[in-house]
Amino acid sequence: MAQEGPGPKRKDQDSEAAWGVVGYLVSGLVAWGGLGAIADHYFDTSLFFPIGLALGAGLGLYLVWVRYGKS
Amino acid sequence: MSSTVLALTHTADPGFEPPGIADFNFPPIFPDTPFDFVTKPLLASVLAAIIVFVFFTLGARKGALVPGRFQFAVESVYTFIRNGIARDVIGHDFAKYVPYLVTVFAFISVNNLFGIIPLIQFPTLARFGFPLVLAICSWLIYLGIGIRRAGFFGYFKSIMFPPGLPVFIYPLLAPIELIQVLVVRPFSLALRLTANMFAGHILLLLFTLGGTYMLTNESLVLKLLAPFSLAGAIGLTSFEAFIEVLQAYIFTLLSALYIAEAMSDEH
Repeated sequence: MAQEGPGPKRKDQDSEAAWGVVGYLVSGLVAWGGLGAIADHYFDTSLFFPIGLALGAGLGLYLVWVRYGKS
Repeated sequence: MSSTVLALTHTADPGFEPPGIADFNFPPIFPDTPFDFVTKPLLASVLAAIIVFVFFTLGARKGALVPGRFQFAVESVYTFIRNGIARDVIGHDFAKYVPYLVTVFAFISVNNLFGIIPLIQFPTLARFGFPLVLAICSWLIYLGIGIRRAGFFGYFKSIMFPPGLPVFIYPLLAPIELIQVLVVRPFSLALRLTANMFAGHILLLLFTLGGTYMLTNESLVLKLLAPFSLAGAIGLTSFEAFIEVLQAYIFTLLSALYIAEAMSDEH
């Protein structure tokens, strides 16, 4: 979500950040961990799930930094 | 608190049974009839709907310029959500969403407050189905707004590919953004509400049942300690009242934030 520019003014930006951060961290794990699990199921391996979790955690953190860290 | 439980389990002969999931499962009120799906939480939620309906209908019917005490109370709730959430969060064109937000806030508040109202004493929304339906309502609304604004593909494109990032990173981030909006948001809305109500109800049960058990126990030490547990139950009841309204507020606020985001052009 844009920090500045046109659009609705946001008095509750802080509370939004608080919930959004948790949301992104969880979403990262679910999205890439899920894709990894699907890949594991498909290829009959047990390699992609942990890789996906690690990747998702990192990307979630990156998204938090992009969305709420830069100002 | 945990030390009390430990002391109980060590000294008691029949043993203290701590409250658990079983306390959230209610037997059907009319067993062996076609209406065996009717349970206490279901009736409570219907009652909550009736209360909300009557509250706002009576409050708005007179519409006096100088409001009486009751009309003032109704208008306070309405104004609180209208100005405090809808206008400040959504901004322009907020009027359309005020009815939904006010209703959701009132309905959740009443249902939650049932947790501390004598005779009912069960927060309806501690059963996951109820908040899930409410969350799906908010979900459909903000998805509908986004799709109507930008078209089906346009909306999902704006979710998955927000501008301002290096191109090579988009394939990595797109699934996260999609999961965030489609799955994590509605579930976190519903889970947060359920978990708070569930935990609060368990705490109240623990202090009340524990206090009663200690009071009726033969051990003098436990009898003397029982008032503390019961006092804790009373203190927690007022704390729960605060949490219950706060959770209704948070649900409404987040719904409004999601609506605002779906309305704005930028992600």
